[in-house]
Amino acid sequence: MRLAWRGVELGLLLPVLLLVPLGFAITHIALSGAFEVGPLGLAVGYVALFVAAHLVLVAFRHRGDQLLLPAVGALGGMGMIMLNRLPQDLAGTSGFGLDLGMAATQLLWFGVGLVAMLAIAIGLRDDGLLRHYKYSWAAVGIFLLVATLLIGYEVNGARLWIDLGPVSIQPGEFLKIVLVVFLAAYLAETRTLLTSARMRIGFLSIPPLPYFLPMLVLFAIVMLMAVRLNDLGTALLFFGIFLTMLFVATGRRSYVLIGLILFVAGSFVAYELFGHVQSRVNVWLDPFADPLGAGFQPVRALYALGRGGVFGEGLGQGLVTLGGGLTIPFVHTDFIFTAIAEELGVLGAFALLGLAAVVVFRGLRIAALARDDFSALLAVGLSASLGLQTLIIIGGNTKLVPLTGITLPFVSYGGSSVVASFIMVGLLLSISHRTAIGADEAAP
Amino acid sequence: MIATNVRRLGFYLMLAFGVVSASAVWWQVLEAPSLAARPDNPEVLAARRSLPRGTIFDATGQVLASSEVVDGLSRRTYTDQAFTHVIGYASLRFGTTGIERAYEDILVGQTDPNPIRDLVDEILDREPEPRDLTLTIDRRLQDFAADQLGGDRGAVVALDPSSGRILAMVSSPSYDATAISGDPAAAQEPMDALRNDPSEPLLPRDRLGLYVPGSILKVFTAAAGLDAGVITPETTFPDQPRQETEGFVVDGFTILEHDLGGIAPGLWRLSEALQVSSNIFFAHVGLEIGQERFLDYARRFGFCSDSVIGSPARPLAVRASLVTQPVDGDCGPFADDVELASASFGQGSTQVTPVQMALVAATIAGDGVAPAPYVVHDVRAHSDDGSPSDEVLETFSSTGGTRVVSAETARAVRSGMLDAVNGELGRLFAGQGDITLYGITNDRSAGKTGTAQLGGEQAPHSWFIGFAPAQDGVTPTIAVAVLVESGGSGSGRAAPIGGQVMAEWLRMSGAAGG
Repeated sequence: MRLAWRGVELGLLLPVLLLVPLGFAITHIALSGAFEVGPLGLAVGYVALFVAAHLVLVAFRHRGDQLLLPAVGALGGMGMIMLNRLPQDLAGTSGFGLDLGMAATQLLWFGVGLVAMLAIAIGLRDDGLLRHYKYSWAAVGIFLLVATLLIGYEVNGARLWIDLGPVSIQPGEFLKIVLVVFLAAYLAETRTLLTSARMRIGFLSIPPLPYFLPMLVLFAIVMLMAVRLNDLGTALLFFGIFLTMLFVATGRRSYVLIGLILFVAGSFVAYELFGHVQSRVNVWLDPFADPLGAGFQPVRALYALGRGGVFGEGLGQGLVTLGGGLTIPFVHTDFIFTAIAEELGVLGAFALLGLAAVVVFRGLRIAALARDDFSALLAVGLSASLGLQTLIIIGGNTKLVPLTGITLPFVSYGGSSVVASFIMVGLLLSISHRTAIGADEAAP
Repeated sequence: MIATNVRRLGFYLMLAFGVVSASAVWWQVLEAPSLAARPDNPEVLAARRSLPRGTIFDATGQVLASSEVVDGLSRRTYTDQAFTHVIGYASLRFGTTGIERAYEDILVGQTDPNPIRDLVDEILDREPEPRDLTLTIDRRLQDFAADQLGGDRGAVVALDPSSGRILAMVSSPSYDATAISGDPAAAQEPMDALRNDPSEPLLPRDRLGLYVPGSILKVFTAAAGLDAGVITPETTFPDQPRQETEGFVVDGFTILEHDLGGIAPGLWRLSEALQVSSNIFFAHVGLEIGQERFLDYARRFGFCSDSVIGSPARPLAVRASLVTQPVDGDCGPFADDVELASASFGQGSTQVTPVQMALVAATIAGDGVAPAPYVVHDVRAHSDDGSPSDEVLETFSSTGGTRVVSAETARAVRSGMLDAVNGELGRLFAGQGDITLYGITNDRSAGKTGTAQLGGEQAPHSWFIGFAPAQDGVTPTIAVAVLVESGGSGSGRAAPIGGQVMAEWLRMSGAAGG
């Protein structure tokens, strides 16, 4: 067996891990005018977490992809620098004798997320657990949804949260993973049948109904409930994941076309039926119509983008608060991209998008190299999920698509989002590890 | 085969990342200059938070609004709640309204045509010099008018018919703008209370409130009828005396007279019709004018479109007054002759602002010329000592009026309005608008009351428009419109306020002029 030094990973992690304390220091100097070591504590903690994760992978001779961890570390680093710079009372944790501000809480969740990632990347030796129990996973997903529906509570009109004593979780973030696992297992099994479709309506070919139906039913339930929970962003994301995986499994553009037609029709119906959909679309089309009311948040976000310009206002020098309130409400979750683009400019925005693209395209590479259909589809679903989520929320920030309340993976504040995103990276690492092992065994 | 599909997916995702990156470039690079130029941009707000702001004085040099910089933040203090709806507020938390908004660049001393970029750049180098404003309003008349409303929901608008100079502009109820403009942390609570107050204290009723006018609109109908030549001051309608009791059937709908209070119907001319406020007479006039021409005159008088007080570049907005159902912000066509006949006596689909009705009164008082109203008199160098500087930088004056109807028409309507207040029949309805009741002996006032029926159980709006002095051969110096929401009859509530405000002004200006 070859040695697994993971030199590429280390080589890429080092500059990332130097930049995070540097970013903290620059922010602190900009805000307070003096350099102090104390405020760097969180940055050092962040560096330590990623170094530890790297060392654990080395110790277990992990053969998984070496670009994912540095890319995720850089994304998370940009997020941490910004979260540390925002008012710390926006969010936080108190309990167990601790009283943590927002950035410290986020760091805690990075720790939990990295542990989850390592456990999966190392512990998941084969895919049986995921593959063979797909209906159990579907049941888990439905349970999560029903639980949210019954005992969930609302924040800003969307019922997304379940209160578990000391922490609240967003089941939707984990449901996303369950959905991907189920779809991968189901599509891997039925994709030959789905591909040999011979039903045609006009120029559109329709998959054979008996094979398609269970998936469609599950999907309808998910969509219906996502709409019922008033979580349009998650609904849109799930739909995108579904179409993407269907496309890769069957190679049929017509399925995607049908899906898009359904989506347009469904959006139109939703627009006509639901007041909140209507108002959100109207705000999207013309936020400046009511810049102090319904359009307040998006308009303020566009102003922040404009202030950023090409080079940004500099770390710590953005206009985060105004008149005792936040310039952009929910800047730490929905608009973290805007905050980064304000202080680091369009160049910073490119960097962030580029890092996200690295994660997505490494994920797709893992899919392309995977040795079986299930692994390939799983990797596709995971990368598409991370990619689409990034595109939907950043597109919402830039008024490209209507604004939704989903998080920017690894960057936005939020424990569920961070942990779920790391679980997804863990799965990708595990797939690529098995691919590498398989290649070794196949080699003469 | 999956690998091929993955590559295709990769291509599409690459495209999507490209599009999203382009959208960031769009806002951060291409649109950034135009975003920076918008007045509600927080960058601009933030920059102005710390700038000293000019003082606003009344016409006699008394301080109405002043600023001081506390802990690096500019805080505004307002001395007189009667002016809140004219001046507005300059809040660190809620932005600006009223004159504070329209004249913001002057108040903070940044009058560059493209102020925003300059402002942000220049703050670093030099402090802009604030400028002071003097209003056309004498605080004494403003306070007097506000006292007359006594906190009831309503508005008083008074102006000089010759120049358009606003003499008083009160919307009630008012509120304490200092509470919103002071400490930003303490501003939210009073703002929430104001927003939730059912009497809508944040609404400038004088400019932005729309109300059914009732009989005060007959002044407009009379002017339009005379000017179009469809009536003369001597015109009578033979069926009118009978219809006063039986009703006037238009297109199968019966128009009824209001309660004449026991006055026996006669064959009335314009003067009597204005005195007793005959709905039947004016329905006839309106039908003679016809739908098209009625709308045409309405537009000439300034109805049917949004307008401004002051220059369009620094506007205090006035909502469009309407005589029909609106279509795209303009008066739509009349649905039928019933709507036209009803509009002729101020019912139907008519809805007007107090400012617009004050302008109607001013147009009659001004021999048929509608003045362009303005409320800021001049800009001066900043003064810290509580009295205006002598260094006047810019003076705003009348921009000239617009002829709406002939002088002959205006004088005939004026004569009718004089009768409505002083005539034998008129005294019974609009007599409370007579300035001789309030200590003026040498002059006479003209006017018209309105009792706007709202349907259902709602008490009618009480209206009065008028001007003084109105006797022959004298140029009126004040035209006024008074609205009291659900104040009952025009004669009971609005007319005495109108009469008192006019009398007070004549006393004040008489004293001032020696």
